Amino acid sequence: MSLVFDTNMLIYMLEIVVGGLLVSVGVHFVPVGGAPAAMAQATGIGTGTVTLAAGSGLTGLLSAGLMMSVTDNIWPILATGAVGSMIMMDATMLTGDFIYSYAVGCPYASAKVNYDPITMFPQPPYVAPGTVGQGIPTVCFVSGTIGALLGGVGGAMIYYPCLQIGGNPAQAAIFAIGIFFVQAVIPSWNIQGTIEGFHDPKFKKWPLAFKASLVAGILLAIMTVLIQPLGVA
Amino acid sequence: MDQLKGFKLEPKQLRMYGIIGSVVGIYLTVGLNAMTGTKVFSFIGCIAALFAVLWGANSIRRICSYGLGTGVPAMGMLCTGMACVAAVFGLNIAGRFGFEIAGPIITLVYAMVFGYVVGTLCNKVMKFNIPIMEEGLMDGSGACTMAVLAWSVSLSGSLSYNEIIATVYNTGFLAVIFILGGMALFHPFNANLGPDEKQDRTLIDGMMVGGLAMFGLGICSIVTIGFAPAMLTIVVGFALWYYFFVWYFRLAKRDAAAVVGTGLLPPSAL
Repeated sequence: MSLVFDTNMLIYMLEIVVGGLLVSVGVHFVPVGGAPAAMAQATGIGTGTVTLAAGSGLTGLLSAGLMMSVTDNIWPILATGAVGSMIMMDATMLTGDFIYSYAVGCPYASAKVNYDPITMFPQPPYVAPGTVGQGIPTVCFVSGTIGALLGGVGGAMIYYPCLQIGGNPAQAAIFAIGIFFVQAVIPSWNIQGTIEGFHDPKFKKWPLAFKASLVAGILLAIMTVLIQPLGVA
Repeated sequence: MDQLKGFKLEPKQLRMYGIIGSVVGIYLTVGLNAMTGTKVFSFIGCIAALFAVLWGANSIRRICSYGLGTGVPAMGMLCTGMACVAAVFGLNIAGRFGFEIAGPIITLVYAMVFGYVVGTLCNKVMKFNIPIMEEGLMDGSGACTMAVLAWSVSLSGSLSYNEIIATVYNTGFLAVIFILGGMALFHPFNANLGPDEKQDRTLIDGMMVGGLAMFGLGICSIVTIGFAPAMLTIVVGFALWYYFFVWYFRLAKRDAAAVVGTGLLPPSAL
């Protein structure tokens, strides 16, 4: 047997690379606060990027996998992945907000902008002294939903070719998770762990992560498409 | 209190130990298993993984001491995520050319190239300006991949692509390897970081978690390689965990400002 490279493999590679890029850009939208947010001293969800990306990405993968057991058409699969991932992220942000308002007892405010770009509410009066915002304000919520959409579509778009190549759902899921993690960590290094959403000044750095993820995605895609099922010897 | 002698290892030394230990260990596992026609020697795979853990934990320790802003687990997850794909890549390519024995080498080379490229991207594109980023990520991804491969070999008892897919990927045990392996690599520095972080304490912590991972994977391998060989993995894993736990406990005591007994452990265990 030898290595054969055909058009299908190029399409699979393209899907894996584009999926990875969507994940990479999506991470920039998700309001990640890290440990300070867990203590209500920064805006965003109180956990790390990787954890959040894993949560939304895996939910997206699960829902995409469910749809994939019914149909082979890529569009409903991508849509289901996106919806699953968005539901997970929204539920996380909503529950987080409940905890911030009812348990911690703080108003939601962003310290990066003076006026919320969506509701136009003023922010600085509500930022507690010594902190950089609390909770998940409207703009972060919307931004997080967009991020989950991109992440879910990206995750499903990575899973789809993996399953088409190997025809083995378990292997495809693990490959998709592995690629997803790589593509989630690179942008989270780019934003240095925390970001508030598309209104954050750090968001402007996304082209850097885009370039890095592109190269990493190509390397991963080469590896993934070359792994083909072996006949039982 | 007795003064415990520590150790200090250079990154180059550790890279040598990691590469040689894991590759030789994998071949030893497969070779002895094939020669005796049993799966009894599968536990050597887990010991091979310990060398890779030593190598990887040190590289994560070196990079993360610069502060990446995302926490230590992110780097472990990047390396382990890539390792999940790379571990079978070499086996598959080697299998297709009918030269299965070269699998681990192809895997190692590709993983190290991948790590080097990502490290270069971090420095050149994302402007990290961490001088050891390329080298550290190369070590990290190489070590993670060898660890995942070694644990996979110890679960399946062979180096055949089809067998590893059937016993490790299809059963979902790779998820266990993913988390336990990731833990063994990133937990040491995550737990020990700080101004008084010492290399020996961090690395012994890694070995301890590696022993724990061996214990856990031994339980998993009851299904894949049979009860008796799995028991051997469990017993050796537990012994290693206990040995390194005591060692780690003594190192922690050495580096502590004061040790106050709370009665949790009997004096004989100290």
